[in-house]
Amino acid sequence: MFRASALAASWTLLIFAFMYFPVAVILIFSLNDSEIIAFPLQGLTLRWYESVVSDGRLGGGFATTLMVAFPAAILSTFLGALAALALTRYEMKMKLKLVFAILLLLPFLIPKLILAVAQLILLSELGVARNLVTVTLGQVIVILPFTTLVVASVLVRIDRRLEEAAVDLGASAWSVFRRVTLPLMRNGLVAAMFIAFVLSSSEVVLTTFLSGRAQPLSLLVASDFRFAISPALNALAVLIVTGNIALVLVGEAIRRRSERGTG
Amino acid sequence: MSRIGNWLAAPVAAVLVALCLAPLAVLFAYSFFQVDFVTISTDPTLKNYARIAGSATYRALIGHAFLSGAVVVAITALIGYPVAWFIARRGGVRKSALLTLLLVPLYTGDMVRIFAWRVILGAEGVLNRLFLWLGLIDQPLQVLLFSPVASHLVLVYNYLPFMVIGLWLGFEALDERLTEAARDLGAPAREVFRRVTLPLTLPGLIAGGMMVFVLVVGDHLTPQLLGGASGVTVISAINDLFGTAFDWPLGSAIACTLLATLGLCCALAAFALSRTELGRSLAAGEA
Repeated sequence: MFRASALAASWTLLIFAFMYFPVAVILIFSLNDSEIIAFPLQGLTLRWYESVVSDGRLGGGFATTLMVAFPAAILSTFLGALAALALTRYEMKMKLKLVFAILLLLPFLIPKLILAVAQLILLSELGVARNLVTVTLGQVIVILPFTTLVVASVLVRIDRRLEEAAVDLGASAWSVFRRVTLPLMRNGLVAAMFIAFVLSSSEVVLTTFLSGRAQPLSLLVASDFRFAISPALNALAVLIVTGNIALVLVGEAIRRRSERGTG
Repeated sequence: MSRIGNWLAAPVAAVLVALCLAPLAVLFAYSFFQVDFVTISTDPTLKNYARIAGSATYRALIGHAFLSGAVVVAITALIGYPVAWFIARRGGVRKSALLTLLLVPLYTGDMVRIFAWRVILGAEGVLNRLFLWLGLIDQPLQVLLFSPVASHLVLVYNYLPFMVIGLWLGFEALDERLTEAARDLGAPAREVFRRVTLPLTLPGLIAGGMMVFVLVVGDHLTPQLLGGASGVTVISAINDLFGTAFDWPLGSAIACTLLATLGLCCALAAFALSRTELGRSLAAGEA
């Protein structure tokens, strides 16, 4: 028994090492003082990071990314919250609920490229030009399943008795929501927004098809990462990974805090 | 007052219909059109589907996609089982920390992940240079990058967390006392797994497997950027028909064929899932 446990522990450690191996490699070589990405290491440098930070083209792409990611995060969190409330909080016919849940999962299960070309055909049929709005809406639909899940994970942990007590004390449905449910789910909303922001800023396939002439950072780096390999790109990749992981972890920490608050 | 849920769900459903179902409906309609010189003729025809059915290439591409999906499902299940079991047996803080650590790599972004693997696996990459430096090889290993091995390795890497999450949910629902009872009654470890653990965690395996399968079949970037000559997939064929080849109707027909077969697979998985739930509730009723 103990042996099986120890085996599973070392196996798990190995798998986690595998999951973080690529990140570790680009981190190590982004700090290595050599044009050549190879062992043995040649000493510590920050010059690769300097060259990324001084690249003006990337700054413009970053601004475009923010113009898409903020509205996409807010909209997908709002819709995700509505969906999560409908699924976990208020009554709906069981069959209707099932259909609604499948509909929500659909954008996650359908190959992104197929969804992208389908949206492309619809836009061309409607004669709508592709721009930052179309790419934002396209992203919202693939992010929605994730934000719904994050908000729902907080909602299912809220003690229903708190809401029932408010009803017993004569509060209307709206005031129960505004004064009891909403404050308790607020952390879930913030966490969902962080995750939506990360998913939006790193989305490539939908963005390629729907952004038109605008070039968000994800597309700029996609063409770099596709064809070239260099220590400067390592540094860029590390900056992106660090930014994404930091946002996700902050979101996770906020979500957890709500667990403790209500647990 | 009653049925507030419907009112909350309605706007979300409307957005899903407008941005997901409506585009798919138009895609479906396009699959019956055909290209006439540079315009698209809207006279309905089944020619595109006939072309797919008659073309060994397209049939093979769809077959390959499903084979890739099955292979990655099998590998992730095999290496994921011990991880899921280990995580399910941890308590409180450690469990949630492990789950977070497992999911964090999903948020690094597709392009960054693919880039990192190219740095590792390339002919001039970290692994090859390390092996050369250590004197294990004289020539860089070409098979490491731009090969089916590379693309499947990274597909496993990309989607392993989804499998582990599915299996973990399966283990959370498993009553540890049942495996203990089997062991106490003298069943060897393999039999305990085959006759108790596997059947009882099957719902998790099916759910995780279904997610991994559809995600692998739908993955565009990984095979294209890491698979080399093997990187031509049914998804990249659709991409080409919408890009350079400019045959939207045929591309739509292939996409619809793929979606229909994927839908069938999901329906089968959902059916299997309902059967296991049924089996479980029956078992619970007997106990």
